[in-house]
Formats: sequence, C-alpha cells, structure tokens
Amino acid sequence: MFFRDARFLVGVFLLFLGACATPPQTRLVLDSPPVSLPRRAELAEVPYFAQDAYQCGPASLAMSLNAVGIAVTPETLKPELYLPDRHGSLQVEMLAAARRNGAVAYQLAPELNDVMHEIAAGTPVVVLQNLAFSWYPVWHYAVAVGYDLDSAEIILRSGPEQRQVLPMRTFEYTWARSGYWAMVAMPPGKIPETAEPNSFIAAVSALEKISGPERVQSTYIAALKRWPGNLSAQIGAGNTAYRLHDLARAEAAFRQAAQDHPDSVAALNNLAQTLADQARYEEALEAAQRAVSLGGPLAQTAQQTLADIERAMKK
Amino acid sequence: MTQQHSYFMRWTSRVVMLSMLAMGLPLQPAFAGIVETDQVVSHELAGQDRARINAFIDREDVLSQLQQRGVTAGEAKARVNALTDDEAHMIAGKLDQLPAGGDIIDALIFVFIILLITDILGFTKVFPFTHAIKR
Repeated sequence: MFFRDARFLVGVFLLFLGACATPPQTRLVLDSPPVSLPRRAELAEVPYFAQDAYQCGPASLAMSLNAVGIAVTPETLKPELYLPDRHGSLQVEMLAAARRNGAVAYQLAPELNDVMHEIAAGTPVVVLQNLAFSWYPVWHYAVAVGYDLDSAEIILRSGPEQRQVLPMRTFEYTWARSGYWAMVAMPPGKIPETAEPNSFIAAVSALEKISGPERVQSTYIAALKRWPGNLSAQIGAGNTAYRLHDLARAEAAFRQAAQDHPDSVAALNNLAQTLADQARYEEALEAAQRAVSLGGPLAQTAQQTLADIERAMKK
Repeated sequence: MTQQHSYFMRWTSRVVMLSMLAMGLPLQPAFAGIVETDQVVSHELAGQDRARINAFIDREDVLSQLQQRGVTAGEAKARVNALTDDEAHMIAGKLDQLPAGGDIIDALIFVFIILLITDILGFTKVFPFTHAIKR
C-alpha cells in the first residue's frame, strides 16, 4: 500500500520535475567533482533486507549495521524504532538505536558530496527521503550503497528493491525535502571519511554513555591519530583511559592537551586529577593551580580539584 | 502492634538509607574531579557555531544587506557573541540548511536577515537573544 502510493506519487512528481533544472548539489558535483572522489563506487556486499509496509527504518538500519559486522535483523530493531501511530521511525530514534547496538551513530553534513565520499570509503549511508511533496510527505528511509558520476546515478537499497538506481537529481529532490538527512553507523575504531572532529567526538561520547568506556577506546585512539591536536579528541581519549584505570595513557593525553591548548581548564584539571590519583601531589598541585587561575565556566570544578589535592597533601 | 510497626519502619528505612549510600559511594571519589568529554565538546561546538555565524555575516552579500538597513557588522557580531550556546547552535543549524554553492540571497537568508535587523532596531522581537539598540 505504502509503496504503491509512494510510487504513484514519485511518478506524478517526476512529471513535474521534467521541466525543472538540475538541483544545486547535483549540478555542483557533476560540473566540478572533487578530485578525491572516484568516478563510481558500489558496495555490492552490503546485505539486503526486504521490508514490510512502513518498515523502512528498521530495515535500513539493519542493513547498515550488518555491513559493519553488527548482526541484527529488522525484527529485533522494530520494537526500538517503529512508532505505530506515525507509521515510521524518527531520525533521533535511528541514531539512538544504532548506538544501543554498539555503533557510533554519526549524522553527516547535508552534502551530496559527503554521501558519495562515504560510499567510496566503504561505508553505506542511511538516508531519509520525502518521496512526495512538502505538503504531502511520504517519508522513506533507504541505504545509499553506490553512485556513478558518468551516468549521474545513485544506487540504493530501498524498500522492495535490492538495487534501485535513481537519477542523481531525483535523489537530491527527494533527499532535500528531508533537510538532507543522512547518517552512518561506525564500528569500534573506525571514523567516517567526512567526519567533523567535534561532532564526531560528540557522537562517540554519546555511545560511551550507554556502552561504557571499553567499547569506544579504539575509536578515541583512532581519533587522536586522525586529529592529533583536537582538544575534544584529546580529552575524550584521556577520560576513557582514566575510566579504564589506564592512568599512564590518560596522563599522556591530558598532558598533550594542556600543551596544545594552554588555556583549557578541562585539560589542566583532568591532568591534575590523574596525577593526584597516582599520589604525585606536587605536579598535581601545579596543574590544578594553573587550572584555577584561568577561571571561566569550569572554575568551580577546578577549585574543587585543587582543594582535594591540598587536603590529600596535608594527610 | 504500633510499636512493632514503627520498629519495622525504622529498620527498613535504615537498611534502605545504607544501601542507597553504598550505591553512591564507590563512584564518588574516583570521578569527582574530572571534566566530562561532552562538556568539552559542547563548548568547542558552540565556538564553531559562533565562528560560522560570524563568517556568514562577513559574506559580501549579507554585509551589504545589513548596511542597507543601517546595521554594522560589528553590531551584528556583538549580538552573536551574546548568544547562549543553544541559540548559537539553532542559528548555525539554520545556516546549514542553506543550499551549498548558492551565491544569491534566497528567501531564507532574506527572512533571517530582516528579522535579525528589525529585532536589533527594536521593531520586532523574534529572536530571544537580540537586544534592541537604545537610542
């Protein structure tokens, strides 16, 4: 029912489109494709789950999770995702369900370019499309698994079609109406090709809260390698090591952070705490005093750390 | 009966209190002094959001729209600096929805600019973060 409706509407829609020009992102990528982007790519090995009516959310997420080695079926995801009275799944629920299954759920920048870069790097991309009109939305999740710049096409695992080939501009029109929503699910230790460091670390930290530090440790190590000077990556790596009682690694990360970002209260404070836990109070005291002297919104935490160290030294 | 009842209550409440204390204890000392990753990340992201809004204000087409309406880039940026992290994120998110590579001011930018300017000039009050210029 859903698909018959959707297809009819897409048909009607395409008639309208016939007269329109190529949408901006498609035009941009076809006219001046980035040199880093191969002419074509297809992830043929991404598994396919056919879907029942309205089940495109669980099916799409299951495909993307299985592609990175997390074995789930649409049926197991359904209770986490499907909202019966909405006949579908919300975007935030898609991200949360990926996380609950142990993946870092990262929302891509709203760029067609980035979707293709991810595919070229071997990562399938879950996309949200509005197949009809803004005033009569037919929402649909699919998995983008391939593209071809020469024939201007996008290849999707979509609903009942294992290999749907859409003209790039049609894809852009349907995707634009979802606000260019796209996500990838990453296994431990892997970073999306197009990831922006701070947004990615936010996604890792969100996973860490429900999975615990062990699951994300390798991802932080990879993040430090990719963005050596990034404060969020340094603090994240240090905090995770600290939680795993790997104080040497934590100390190294915080020390580097404090060196690269001398005005970061967080780096100095966490360094002080890590040193204090090793009973190296003199060094800890110095770091804590520097943290306190910087002031700012974290001043209270820094003062607390300093007071704790001073109390420990009196004992 | 009442005596028994109050004994029971007293002991139950003691057991419950102790077990709640015990649950809280082992976590407290170890992590007390650590600044969490998400605190750092949201601060970094907010800085990025502000930088993006400022870069938008610096665009030539946007600057000329501002100037035509008697608002300097400096005034607009002073407002950006006064945004809370959440507000900056909201505005930056709106900028994200602008078409990539578009070089003309489309309806969205236009509406955004007009509302921002009229807010600053004190004709409207759409954005919670703008403060009208006192004259």
